[in-house]
Amino acid sequence: MNRYILRRLLQALPLLLGISVASFAILKAVPGGPLAAYEASPDITDEDIRRLEHAFGLDQPVPIQYLSWLGRFVVGDWGYSFVSHQPVLGLIGERLPNTVYLMGTVFVTVLVLAIPVGVLTAVKQYSWFDHVVTGSTFGFLSTPTFWLGLLLIIFFGLQLRWLPLGGMATPGAAFDLGDRLRHLILPVATISLVQLGSHVRYLRASMLETINQDYMRTARSKGLGERIVVLRHALKNAAIPLVTVVALDIPELFAGALVTEQIFGWPGMGRLFWDAATRLDYPILMGILAVSSTLIVLANLLADVVYGYLDPRIRYA
Amino acid sequence: MRGHRSVRVLAVAAALLVLATACASTQPAGGSPTTGPVKGGTLVFAIWQEPATLAPNYGNQTITGIVNAVAVEGLLRTDTGGNYQPVLAKAVPTEKNGGVKISGDGKRMDVTYELQPDIKWSDGRPFTSADVKFTWEAWMKDPKVVSREGYEQIESIDTPNDLTVLVHYKTIYSPYLTRFGTIMPKHILEKVADISASDYGRKPLGTGPFVITDFKAGDSITVERNPNYRKKGQPYLDKIIFRSVPSREVAVAQLKAGEVQGMWNLIEAQLPDLEKDANIKLSITPAPGVERIEMNTAVNKDGTEPNSVHPVLGDINLRRALIYATPKQQIIDRLLFGKARVGSSPVSQGWAAPKGLTQESYDPKKSNELLDQAGWVKGGDGIRTKNGVRASVTITTTTGDQLRERVEQILADEYKQIGVELKISNMPSSVLLSASWAAGDPRKRGAFDLDMYSSTPAIDPHQTVNLRYHSKQIPYPGNGGNGQNYTRFKNPEADKAIDEAGSALDLEKRAAAYAKALTLLNDAAVCIWLYERSAIEAFRTNVSGYAGQVWDGITWNTEDWYMKGTAPSY
Repeated sequence: MNRYILRRLLQALPLLLGISVASFAILKAVPGGPLAAYEASPDITDEDIRRLEHAFGLDQPVPIQYLSWLGRFVVGDWGYSFVSHQPVLGLIGERLPNTVYLMGTVFVTVLVLAIPVGVLTAVKQYSWFDHVVTGSTFGFLSTPTFWLGLLLIIFFGLQLRWLPLGGMATPGAAFDLGDRLRHLILPVATISLVQLGSHVRYLRASMLETINQDYMRTARSKGLGERIVVLRHALKNAAIPLVTVVALDIPELFAGALVTEQIFGWPGMGRLFWDAATRLDYPILMGILAVSSTLIVLANLLADVVYGYLDPRIRYA
Repeated sequence: MRGHRSVRVLAVAAALLVLATACASTQPAGGSPTTGPVKGGTLVFAIWQEPATLAPNYGNQTITGIVNAVAVEGLLRTDTGGNYQPVLAKAVPTEKNGGVKISGDGKRMDVTYELQPDIKWSDGRPFTSADVKFTWEAWMKDPKVVSREGYEQIESIDTPNDLTVLVHYKTIYSPYLTRFGTIMPKHILEKVADISASDYGRKPLGTGPFVITDFKAGDSITVERNPNYRKKGQPYLDKIIFRSVPSREVAVAQLKAGEVQGMWNLIEAQLPDLEKDANIKLSITPAPGVERIEMNTAVNKDGTEPNSVHPVLGDINLRRALIYATPKQQIIDRLLFGKARVGSSPVSQGWAAPKGLTQESYDPKKSNELLDQAGWVKGGDGIRTKNGVRASVTITTTTGDQLRERVEQILADEYKQIGVELKISNMPSSVLLSASWAAGDPRKRGAFDLDMYSSTPAIDPHQTVNLRYHSKQIPYPGNGGNGQNYTRFKNPEADKAIDEAGSALDLEKRAAAYAKALTLLNDAAVCIWLYERSAIEAFRTNVSGYAGQVWDGITWNTEDWYMKGTAPSY
């Protein structure tokens, strides 16, 4: 097992390097550049533009720009934003807790709801409960988050005035748990409703498959109660595919929700990435992309390892 | 079944949106009549752009200036009438009052600023002439500062005593009053190796009415009363919180809900809805930005030769016909709710705006006459040709800008009526407006027919007029792509007038020279001045004291702002 993990980790290195080359190349292929916004200033002269290009190393050939970024990145110097001039590590550091707070809540909410709902819809297949859940999860799954988010804002924020329209807390107020929670409800609901759909449907499908297996009949004929049959025999087997889905949610704990954070003005990683992308602020974009891709690779490995633990039939060679 | 559901969801959503707007605009009136300034209170002000940095020398976003203006002051500022007024200086230095002296056979100048005594930085340390000198040095030292315009022209600075600054210029630099608009604290920054990455980027310390006390990236910026502020009893507000919101629409929603008491930068399309809300007051001021269409007189080709002639737009009659066929007022009425003014020159506001200068107004009959006389003959498809050249041109603007896209549609229709085909091919603003030869700005490289964008001159328009209309500023491979004269307009008389305006100090003389150059520019018919927009801000009715002005952001006088009653909670 340890050798397997080690081998997978070593294999990940060239993969991550490849991802970083591709990311850099794609960012560089985007027309324009980080200095485009400077023209807004009426004072900016051509000499100013050239001086800035030189100061940021943008006048170097692209491969050199990449190598100098990589060289500094691997020794822990993630560079400075071209726009705010703040160190990239610091910028990520101040946004990360906010994103973990938001996405962690989503992660827990979705798991806590998806498992019982998924199991119930499978056990009571074609009941009214199943129809309502399957129908609405399909609806939410196909709803774009920007639209759902705006709808929730209009309804609960503008119409009913129950919940704030955005942000993480009432500005200027002292820390208040209730206030924090009220700001959390709408963004969490927006992301959770969409994610819940996919998780419930995964679990329902896999439960249905398991429920009709022969060993389920055996368990029942042994005289076990329905509760034990469903929870111990069926769920444990049916949950295996869900492990992959859940493990792949982990990178989002870091990367945040691009669209939802933007709609709700949530000061997290998604917004940092969004703002950096609109300005083609390469140092920030590359820093976030590097961490996200590493987390995705690690999450995949984690899913495979947990898979083996849950299903002893899977053996790692 | 699936289709039905989504149709129903959409219908519900549409109904909700209608309901939301209806309810939001029928709130009961709030706020109280104003009788005089009241002390205290926290004002929350929504900004829909996140200031990446608040350091004046590194920030190139408008929002940087909007926020740091509450803390950072300069030697002078402009008032609502567009006149300079002293802030940290005692007086505005001019040739008349002896503040400006010409030296070196009329080729150089020295400017003396006498500083106000007893001014303190917000940390209590005295403000002196050394800070002014340090500001210039900081600007020249770091290659990452945004623009060195006006500082590069300085030879040296003497500080004979704590309250006198003597600035020696290398040349006659006529826009000198626009510099030193933000002074940096020497005692804090002199030992900092890289100011850009330091704490100064987020909490610049100044002499202004407020102190920046908290910067939560992406969330809010809090500023509190400066106890050492020079005006006794001011500012009135205890605190201002700049709240970062994702968009103008969200800011409007929060303003209506009373979650914020003011917001920055609205667009005309939002006015009809807000004007109905009794809880909201609007501040609308003319803005110096002018939306224009530039016509390329040289061949549409990457790296075009400045003296080449565009097969269609090279004909001044055709260019004039396009100007006559542009329904500016109709565009303003239909797309901007009548809240903009018809454009007539690139300099629309201030002392340099040429008085009485106009551009041909909408008259498609005249267009047809001009084209007929010039030998452009209508073909079977209604498009004119001359010597085998079809009157077909392409317009380019920034992608994703709804207003500009609709203007293009209107123009395509109008130009078709006079027999000119208008094709549309838009580009992301990061390309079209990059102003960089290397980044492939088509305007620089000459690879366009018509382009549509907006440009905002500073209060001293020299940079704008010189860069865009002097023949020395035509970019081409031979000069490394220098300059922003995108129409390739060449007129020796205009060049002379621009040079004169840049080397004179007397404002009347300069204004006359600009008027001459800009009249010649209009005679050449290379630009269509579409419309001049406004700077629009909105406040709850319980906020007073703000005063919108042309040359500075709404936060230029926050020491005078005050608030009555507590903010209603949602």
